[in-house]
Amino acid sequence: MSLLHRIEHPDDALNWHGDMPTEGRYTAGIAGERFFREIKEKGQFLATVCLDCDITYMPPRLYCEECFSHLDEWVEVGSWGHVHTFTVVHRDLDNEPLSEPRILAFVTLDDADGGLVHYLDEIEPEDVYLGMRVEAVFRAEDERQGSISDIEYFRPV
Amino acid sequence: MIRDVAIVGAGWSGFRSITPELSHKELMYDAAVRAYEDAGVDPRRDIDTFVTVGEDYHEGISIFDEYVPDQLGAVQRPVQSIAGEGIQGLAAAVMQILTGRFDIAVVEGHSKASNILTLPYILAFAMDPVFNRPLGVHPYAIAGMEMLRYLAETATTPEECAAVVAKNRSNALFNPLAGHGASISIDDVLTAEPIAEPLSRLECAGHSDGSVVFVLAAGETARVLSDHPIWIRGVGWANDTFWLESRPWGDARYARAAGEMAFRTAGIKSPAKEIDFAEIDDTFAYKELQHLEALGFCSRGSAGEWTLEGGTALGGEFPVNPSGGALGEGHLLDATGLARVLEVVLQLRGQAGQRQIDAAEVGLAFGWRGVPTTAGAAVVLSN
Ligand SMILES: [Zn+2]
Repeated sequence: MSLLHRIEHPDDALNWHGDMPTEGRYTAGIAGERFFREIKEKGQFLATVCLDCDITYMPPRLYCEECFSHLDEWVEVGSWGHVHTFTVVHRDLDNEPLSEPRILAFVTLDDADGGLVHYLDEIEPEDVYLGMRVEAVFRAEDERQGSISDIEYFRPV
Repeated sequence: MIRDVAIVGAGWSGFRSITPELSHKELMYDAAVRAYEDAGVDPRRDIDTFVTVGEDYHEGISIFDEYVPDQLGAVQRPVQSIAGEGIQGLAAAVMQILTGRFDIAVVEGHSKASNILTLPYILAFAMDPVFNRPLGVHPYAIAGMEMLRYLAETATTPEECAAVVAKNRSNALFNPLAGHGASISIDDVLTAEPIAEPLSRLECAGHSDGSVVFVLAAGETARVLSDHPIWIRGVGWANDTFWLESRPWGDARYARAAGEMAFRTAGIKSPAKEIDFAEIDDTFAYKELQHLEALGFCSRGSAGEWTLEGGTALGGEFPVNPSGGALGEGHLLDATGLARVLEVVLQLRGQAGQRQIDAAEVGLAFGWRGVPTTAGAAVVLSN
């Protein structure tokens, strides 16, 4: 026999509410810092390259995940690419319906092997398609803080 | 494997959408008592080592592993806790036995999902804090993007994904444990409200509370303890790159790698021919299809049609998720993979009641750690 006691009405079950306030500092790292500084100061992207594997890492990394070598070859990457995949998101983080559904996409950049996950805008959801050409829209220089949010969204070219 | 290992006891509790009367520790205790009864062992005397799986944010307690010994009979004993998928925990228990140092091991996983009031925030907190989290997006968006790319690359249709939901929730009607059984049509699924298009609400597994406990034993001990040990033939697990920006959106490479390791350790050359049925992660409907293909049970792009034609139904040539899967039983957080294993054990023992598969001799269970992860684990079990 395991549990002998069973409750007969849900209101009889005592419970307490509590939250877990968590706050942290997240270091961008050597590769991340250079990436975000370039966005903030010049409004453009940088990537790292593994010459041995012929992979241009976007976002840039300090190491190659294929051959594990240290990467110190940096290249400029244009802010154009195409929609590799996308979704129309209908819920917010409280699981409530969004009044305006938003389009999230993974955009592969022309000059890199990776890309960026970001919102699409200036287009209706039903008009988005795989392979669609898009470009990054950066915030004005004085609004940029050196984060992924310095990109407002991607839009059709 | 260098030593035979079998499951000699299985226990469970909950599998309901709410369990207001039980704390998560009591859910674990309840499942443990059943598993120890089933195996005929006294935890305070016979069990050598204990493994639990969990995740601090799911528990709402930091350093959750400090909270596991007493309700399992594990006080003053070797205890290892793993922040991982349930089958990764099972693999850890198997490895402890393989060392030769331990003969009887326990693995436990649980969910008290009904107590988590902010689950999307917890999943969002798992996304890269620098590159992804600032977008503030519901993490199921990752599943929506994966699904769309998978459909495009394989010519799988939304109808075929919806067929997974209809099948699994119908299977759950024959499973007294499953709380999400329903008779629903493909149309019901396709017309349900969208969460992250093309993913609809009915294609996302709801959650359940519950706990699953297994008692594992080394060969000779297993034969003494049980008339019907269920042998663990092989285990495998793998992670893909975690970067959203580098992962393959249309392909579950982690499942292929985990499956290949499990088949290699089990000595299985042709999974489709040598395995009779499978319990495969279906946290999202398209995942069952993607995982089936990546594990090699059918060719890439053919799982959808196979499902639509009934090949993976209860009476089909290769039943998939006879239990109802996570769509039919409810997602049990870190214990979800162990729920998949539980059904394989019940089927192999011939204890699956109305949903019993004829001549079930070898089965596979596969678990995925959910969005945003690329972690998968597989285990091959047989009579
Ligand atoms: Zn390389």
